[in-house]
Amino acid sequence: MKIALAGNPNSGKTTLFNALTGKIEHVGNWPGVTVEKKEGSIKRSLNGSSEKMTVVDLPGAYSCSPYTQEESITKDFVMKEQPDVILNIVDATNLSRSLFFTSQLLELGIPVVVALNKSDLNVKQKTVIDTLLLSEKLHCPVVDTVATKGGASNGLSQLVQAIFGAYLSKEKQRSLGIRNAQTAATKEEVQKVDEKRFKVIASIVKEVERRNVHSSSQKMGDAIDRVVAHKWLGIPIFVLVIWFVFSLSQSWLGPFLADFFVGLIDGLYALVDSAMGDSVNPVLHSLLLDGIIGGVGAVIGFLPLIMVLFFTLALLEDVGYMARVAVVMDRFFKKIGLSGKSIIPMIVSTGCAIPGVMATRTIKNERQRRTTAMLSPFMPCGAKLPIIALFSGIFFNENSWVGTSMYMLAIIVVIVSGLVIRKITGDTSQSYFIMELPEYRVPSVKRAALSMLNRAKAFIIKAGTIILVCNAVVQLLQTFNWSFQVVGESNPGQSILASIASPIAFLFIPLGFGIWQFAAAAITGFIAKENVVGTLAVTFAITNFIDVEELALVGGTTEVMAVFGIGSVAALAYLVFNLFTPPCFAAIGAMNAELESKKWLFGAIGYQLGTGYTLAFFVYQFGTLFTTGSFGTAFVPGLIAVAAMIGFIIYLIKRPKAVQSVSRTVKVGA
Amino acid sequence: MTLTEGMPNTSYTITDIVAKEDGMKDFLFSLGCFPGEDITIISQLASNMIVNIKDARYSIDSELAKAIVV
Repeated sequence: MKIALAGNPNSGKTTLFNALTGKIEHVGNWPGVTVEKKEGSIKRSLNGSSEKMTVVDLPGAYSCSPYTQEESITKDFVMKEQPDVILNIVDATNLSRSLFFTSQLLELGIPVVVALNKSDLNVKQKTVIDTLLLSEKLHCPVVDTVATKGGASNGLSQLVQAIFGAYLSKEKQRSLGIRNAQTAATKEEVQKVDEKRFKVIASIVKEVERRNVHSSSQKMGDAIDRVVAHKWLGIPIFVLVIWFVFSLSQSWLGPFLADFFVGLIDGLYALVDSAMGDSVNPVLHSLLLDGIIGGVGAVIGFLPLIMVLFFTLALLEDVGYMARVAVVMDRFFKKIGLSGKSIIPMIVSTGCAIPGVMATRTIKNERQRRTTAMLSPFMPCGAKLPIIALFSGIFFNENSWVGTSMYMLAIIVVIVSGLVIRKITGDTSQSYFIMELPEYRVPSVKRAALSMLNRAKAFIIKAGTIILVCNAVVQLLQTFNWSFQVVGESNPGQSILASIASPIAFLFIPLGFGIWQFAAAAITGFIAKENVVGTLAVTFAITNFIDVEELALVGGTTEVMAVFGIGSVAALAYLVFNLFTPPCFAAIGAMNAELESKKWLFGAIGYQLGTGYTLAFFVYQFGTLFTTGSFGTAFVPGLIAVAAMIGFIIYLIKRPKAVQSVSRTVKVGA
Repeated sequence: MTLTEGMPNTSYTITDIVAKEDGMKDFLFSLGCFPGEDITIISQLASNMIVNIKDARYSIDSELAKAIVV
């Protein structure tokens, strides 16, 4: 049996989906988190029958009228896949809007079961809904649910029973009997029918719902909104929130947990070392210890920091704060021809750029969608976090301001780049912005923990596969020279890796890190950003980055820098370079899918490479100027390269453009 | 008048939607924002406005507020 899960955005579909199937798909207390349909089977503990019950989670929709193409996936799915039951999630706090969609679903002829979700919020607001009467009016079962709650009282087992009952009855679903609903063909007729639809619903709501607090009266949440989404206060509050998140993950809780992890990895290193003894081939010995355990261990060591970051970000999403960030940012995005809608993919990208790029799919305007898909990977994702943590730990005394300023820099880069792309394409279309503001709620530690574990799992899988292979390859390439002889420790510059990376390192001289190890790490970083830390660990033969004290034991900051051979300014430049160049092969794949144009794809990759290079150049050269009073090495050749790149962009902006279509206004859905 | 001239904490009845594009009008419709329905201004924030339509809060920009005639 196949069950389609349909409902308004942010009605709790994915939360219910996870509760029913035991999966941990990403949820957030804001609309538009789900962009692709997801499938799962109902848990055994809920499904008492032998029948396999498959649930399909669809992206949220407000309507399936033929004239709102906003979210046609729902209708297409119902037409093509013919589900046995439609499970309609209705936000119990907003019956008068949600039932509009319900009334349309009832007309499809497929049995509908309504889950009256968020019924716990109604208890707080002292709103009472007569579920029995509502069920009678809608001609379908209505079950109270609290998808966010565990245990027996969340209504899920009753819900599954109701679904099963609807499935067995094999009856054709009765509609609300709105006149002409089936026959309306022209746009005017559909509109007439839909107006009637709202009237019918209003009368149903009037009968079944008793409100004590009118929804249009001022609430506590509105007072909070006036502060956190305030014209001027909104931004410093956002900066403070991000700073707090970074402090927690990188200075307070994160390192504390990381120490424990590093202890485990050190233990494993010693265990394998002693198990192999002296008889093992030295090449294999160093491949296992320095390449695999050292490289992967260096990445895994950062896992606790990432987990703390993801946990706090998940809490912020759950509270409902992220929707307010979109409101604050809308003003700036408007100036560059994007809208607050573009912020959703960017916030998602702070976890991982791949779902972030995919989330651009809901943006209707082609240029806005492509621009957002091109710029979202600039946000520091989870894989870039170890790089930030590494460099802020070694060179900047674990200062949380490093991470915070990287986020802010990313936002500035996004805004400037958006403006540049708008100028290049010559598109001047504007867009409206409307976004539903979910009610604030107390965040759930359990949900945040699940979200964190889900992301941590993906990180560990990556570490065990692609990063492991990359580090092994890097280790082998630096062990041998081109005639496959083992390179002695005294001249690592003879290795295959050094000879490949050195010409590229040459290009990095104006950026302050023209050392082959850094070049090699930047190259493996294109495959996956987690590789950067791993490759640095392998090539510099430092297995343990996280334990800054251990490095400090070598003899203080100067020696640590001596290991790397660069100063803090160049380190910051290297950090910036890695954050703003293309994130990884997988994200480039996602960009390819969403940009739907090779020209845009290569333009995007070229632009990202150019941005990384240019920013790193400015950071290094001007940083050196401020700290020492003169420019860094190779200022002039670097300046020529950067000037050439900027010149090319200006050429693209100035060149005559093809005649643009008449300026369009494009809607953005909430 | 348009919604931009409205006062916070006040409820208005929508008389027309003059969105420059049809898609927006249809989208607003599906939220229950169409002539004859009520809209309440909750607060004015930066260039955005928070409004209540049916039983939900939305943040809309001033362009969109201009398109809503009350």
